[in-house]
Amino acid sequence: MANVQATQAFYSLTLEPSSAPTAACTCNVIPGLKSQDQQIFEARGQRILLHRIVENEDRTEVKVSTFLDQDVFGIVRGVSAFRIPGTGTDQLVVSSDSGRVVLLNYDPDKNSFKRIHQETFGKSGVRRTVPGQYLASDPRGRCVMLASAEKNKVVYIVNRNAEGGILISSPHEANQWASLCFAVCALDTGWEHPVFATLEVDYNDAENDPSGEMYERREKQLVYYTVDLGLNHVVKSWSDTVDYSANMIFGVPGGQDGPSGVLVCCEDRIYYRHDKSQPLSIPIPRRRGATEDPERKRCIVAGCLHLSRARHEFFFLLQTEDGDVFKLTMAMAEDASGRRTSQPESMSMRYYETFPVAKQMLLIRKGYIYIAAENGNNKLYHVNDLAEDIDFEPHNYFTSDSYSPDPEEPYEPLYFHPRGLTFTSLAVDIPSLHPLMRTQVANPLNEDAPQIYAIQGTGATSAFKTIRHGLEVQEIVSSPLGAIDYSNLWSLKHRASDQYHSYLVLSSDYADKTIVLSIGDEVETMENSPFLTTRATISASLMGDATLVQVHARGVHSILESGTVNEWPVPSHRTIVAASANERQLLLGLSSSELAFFFMGDDGVLNQLEEMPEMSGKVTALSVGQTPKGQMQAKYAVVGCDDCTIRVLSIELDSPLEARSVQALSAVPTSIEVIEQIEPDSGTNVSYVHIGLQSGLYLRAVIDDVTGELGEVRTKFLGARPTRLFPVSLASDSNSSSCVLACSSRPWLGYNHPLSTTYTLTPLVMAQTLDAARGFVSEHINGLCGIQGSNLLIFELGSVEKRLSTETVGLKYTPRGMARNPWNGVWYVVQSEGNTLSRETKRALRAKGEGVKKLEDGNVKMETTTDGEDADMKDTTAPADEDEGDVEETERHLGLSRGLGHWASCISAIDPVDAKAITSSFEFGENEAALCVAAVAFESRNWEVFVAVGTGQHLGAAPGAEVQTKGFVHIFRLVDEGRELEVVHKTEFPTPIYALLPFHGRLALGVGPELFIYDLGMRALLRKSRGLAVPNQITSLQAQGNRIIAADVSESVTYVVYKSTASSGAPAGAADRLIPFADDTIQRWTTATTMVDYETVAGGDKFGNLWVVRAPEQASKEADEEGIGGFIVNERSYLGGAPYRLELRAHYYTQDIPMSLQRTALVAGGQEVLFWSGLQGTLGILVPFVSREDVEFFAQLENLIRAEETPLAGRDHLMYRSYYAPVKGVVDGDLCERFGKLGVDARQKIAGEVEREVKEVERKVQEMRGRMAF
Amino acid sequence: MADKLRTQQQLESLQNKYIGTGHADTTKHEWTSNIARDSYASYQGHPPLLHYMSIGMGQPMEKVRMHCMERMVQPVGPAPAVED
Repeated sequence: MANVQATQAFYSLTLEPSSAPTAACTCNVIPGLKSQDQQIFEARGQRILLHRIVENEDRTEVKVSTFLDQDVFGIVRGVSAFRIPGTGTDQLVVSSDSGRVVLLNYDPDKNSFKRIHQETFGKSGVRRTVPGQYLASDPRGRCVMLASAEKNKVVYIVNRNAEGGILISSPHEANQWASLCFAVCALDTGWEHPVFATLEVDYNDAENDPSGEMYERREKQLVYYTVDLGLNHVVKSWSDTVDYSANMIFGVPGGQDGPSGVLVCCEDRIYYRHDKSQPLSIPIPRRRGATEDPERKRCIVAGCLHLSRARHEFFFLLQTEDGDVFKLTMAMAEDASGRRTSQPESMSMRYYETFPVAKQMLLIRKGYIYIAAENGNNKLYHVNDLAEDIDFEPHNYFTSDSYSPDPEEPYEPLYFHPRGLTFTSLAVDIPSLHPLMRTQVANPLNEDAPQIYAIQGTGATSAFKTIRHGLEVQEIVSSPLGAIDYSNLWSLKHRASDQYHSYLVLSSDYADKTIVLSIGDEVETMENSPFLTTRATISASLMGDATLVQVHARGVHSILESGTVNEWPVPSHRTIVAASANERQLLLGLSSSELAFFFMGDDGVLNQLEEMPEMSGKVTALSVGQTPKGQMQAKYAVVGCDDCTIRVLSIELDSPLEARSVQALSAVPTSIEVIEQIEPDSGTNVSYVHIGLQSGLYLRAVIDDVTGELGEVRTKFLGARPTRLFPVSLASDSNSSSCVLACSSRPWLGYNHPLSTTYTLTPLVMAQTLDAARGFVSEHINGLCGIQGSNLLIFELGSVEKRLSTETVGLKYTPRGMARNPWNGVWYVVQSEGNTLSRETKRALRAKGEGVKKLEDGNVKMETTTDGEDADMKDTTAPADEDEGDVEETERHLGLSRGLGHWASCISAIDPVDAKAITSSFEFGENEAALCVAAVAFESRNWEVFVAVGTGQHLGAAPGAEVQTKGFVHIFRLVDEGRELEVVHKTEFPTPIYALLPFHGRLALGVGPELFIYDLGMRALLRKSRGLAVPNQITSLQAQGNRIIAADVSESVTYVVYKSTASSGAPAGAADRLIPFADDTIQRWTTATTMVDYETVAGGDKFGNLWVVRAPEQASKEADEEGIGGFIVNERSYLGGAPYRLELRAHYYTQDIPMSLQRTALVAGGQEVLFWSGLQGTLGILVPFVSREDVEFFAQLENLIRAEETPLAGRDHLMYRSYYAPVKGVVDGDLCERFGKLGVDARQKIAGEVEREVKEVERKVQEMRGRMAF
Repeated sequence: MADKLRTQQQLESLQNKYIGTGHADTTKHEWTSNIARDSYASYQGHPPLLHYMSIGMGQPMEKVRMHCMERMVQPVGPAPAVED
């Protein structure tokens, strides 16, 4: 802790957790649901989640809703679910890096996980011989096996006792020295002893043989481990050699349902193996197509089983690395009397669909396929047809009949035609951010808060995304209502018992008039409405059963159901300035600072209270509370005055307008709403007062039900305009919850977040802010209506679960780097894809393919002369160009054509602001792959901006191969405000270029370990300076002033100072110098860096650490001494490195690999934070602590929570955050936020320890997030 | 003497339990293969690292995992011939 005290500390928060799935399974954890209504148990990064599939009756609307999401503070590696016979719900098993097996139950009352068992079997951490890599559970729910990559396997037998408790046995080990485990699965043996199958390779012989002969003769074994439940031990019961390329195994249903045994998936082939049956084999069909390599072998990467226990039928869906899914079925031999035996006779495969490559594919009994995608959005497909019609696509149907199960025997490969979706349809596309290659926070649009620009995805599904914090809005109607601006609107029902709204009253302060629209099938102007239209309306409401009350400056206009109109005129020389009504009570604020109060009797007539108390200042806003259910009157009203105070008054009839409490504010209140909302903690209704201030602040406080005191004040700055509040209700599936819509310079919605249950404020993503908004319920629409100037807008809100909204521009290949045009919002994204055919190659292949086709048709003769061939080529490429759009569409679905050793690459200019599309693109040829990009303004060209792209040619080529790996820097000129790119020239370099940086009107770049500075020449770049900066390979460059930070691929960062001859007055001809002066003490495999200030660098590494290092003061000063050389040049190298060493200031393990870091503010008026984004889709921030007390408070809180609630997967939190190096100077905010989820007792205890109130601790934790981010 | 035997036994049991526990005659080959195997196991065990590599290699994660597993069989080539 001493270190935390001494230097800057940070508070780490996750804004958006990782979306990349590591494992998933189906389960039934909610008691009382049908067994078909399966849930999905998924692990993403350090979180475990439970999803449900929610559909409406006719299945037109399907939604995957996450109902539980918990951070386990550990690396989750596998999940499984099984049903112990005789229990009502499934048990969930989690294998993680904790060296423990954890059995969980879902607790539906608390909506939380309940840990049933936690058994330790080994050391913590991801180790070679500690089980946890593989997890398999017996299909009959009797035992689970965990295995490690090498040697160790452990089996736990689980049982149920008479009281319904779950018992777990001591661990049974099945260890084998020097054996590597490639895969594990559980066999379905019916009710016989459970068997686990593994794929193993014994390396002992190969290890000890110097000749390498034994290595060549190594074998892969399929091994059965039988768990003898009677004798309580695990034995290796059977093993046999399988094809060496085997990578995955699946258990085949047994008992009454099938033959038992396993499917062994190998490269290009699938075998069926079992100790009691004959083996079978079938090749994996390869793709047919002009751009497909017919020799390329596929292997299976994911699969799932469908078993109908009732009909004893089953099939597998197996996915290849291309994403093609095959349906595999088995036919059983029949005995003499025609009955099905348990001996399989043949296997057959049918091409089913092509889905994104899955990490885990799940078949859900309701008729869905869930793809937990490896890259890109997770998807849910609706199964329309199980492809049982044999006559459909006979060319895509294959059987194992003519294939020998001997791996040695040669065979004819099978080919199929891939196609678009046929048997399934996409039901839900779940937005995900993995893999997130780079992000940059910028605000070219000058919105209130900056946007996050991100490059994301791989292959043909990659995208450039604009991410905003906000809820997406679906606009239904936007219609102009004439030239005048309206200031407020109300949607009213005709009777209180009506379901739908009938009137829409719009008022304009400016024109001093009101218009009324009627809501029916259409919304249209009402000509002869009972409302007064010649004045502006202050408030309109429905009171009593059917009395419409319109308040205007000069009086109250109430319309009874009978049509009678009562008018209450304001006493002379006064006007009404504010009004608020609920079902029975009406409160008016007059210009004389007096209040007028009315109560409505059962006859619908308003009765005025005699007293008209005077307030301390001019009334600016007031609100009466909503009438509570089942009662006649609300208890309190809140009145705000221009002396910056609000008062709570009692408005009950026995003590009318008695002041209860006063609260001072920082500015004049402009809008007040008293709303009853559910307090998530207790689940009861609590009255909250929401206050909008002139300054754009928004406050929310609780009104004590008994005393009327205000408490628990929460504040947030919403925008530059005065805040106006509107109560709305949000219709969800089950119930509607009251929320508040706060309009400042943009609209915000305040609601209880369905997942975290905390009160959340999220902006709505709209081009223009709302002036006013109300609920809008008609027969077809259940949404909101609002005013934007003179426009009426009717809109619906999508889900409020996701707090980010995204705009997408599709890319061609995996994006690797991006740069922004310094003058506008155009971005340059370089993309490259390994082992993929480039566009030119594909064109040539397609042209050739078409030629072949024509030959087959007999229309074209074989070309004999080269001229003829040329003519033919031209002929066929022309239509290919036309189809380009089609081809791209197909590629988006089927993926890019693969080719080993080939690279496809391009640079695109993207305008995400106006065009929202790629504006121009340039394909690189000659097997080049673009790796990095920078927009550089060259001083020698009068600061004209050029785009520089660093590439690598023949990347990945083995040393000594025919081709040499080298690099290029391409320079592009910008045309049409940067929307078009024009090639200038390219310069060759001996190694691929991974880092580029604009530096003092020139270009700094890293070539291997060396740092160069180049200027732009006519035909190539011209070298200006050169220096050895790092030991291996420069991967990232940053600069401030004359200081350049070079990050090495493995050796952390080096500080380099640039000494220019121009500034130092050195003799002409002396070269500019680059002098490294400080480097790090430990290795860091740096992926991203950013300069926090002139001395400090924050970075991330490949192992998932975030760190902050700082140059010692002396080094920093010495480096900046005037003149070339100076002292620093002659400084002696220390221990073979730079003269000085960097100091570590903060270190934190995040699990996800940081790919981008940036010092930036994320919200309007917020402090600057260190924003980072991770490969698996994590968005996070490090908030620098401002005060010492905060550091102490949060460090203590973290410690207490750590002790109070141990992480769910059994990992020690402190150990986890110190995975590679001890955590330093960082408090885990995600753990602190668990405070709100703890039990009441635990919270009390912790709050007592930190000597604060529970509510105060909660407020502090929430404010930490609210102030800086979202 | 008994102490020495005991130490020896303890060491042996450690070596048996924890792969990679060295002994007086550990060769360079044993040591480097052991480190390489540890690394390959770690690449597979950390999902983000495997993901990172799979994107770099342009191959699905399962293939990269298989590649790592396969490299564990003989990570640094055959053992050098022992001279008697």
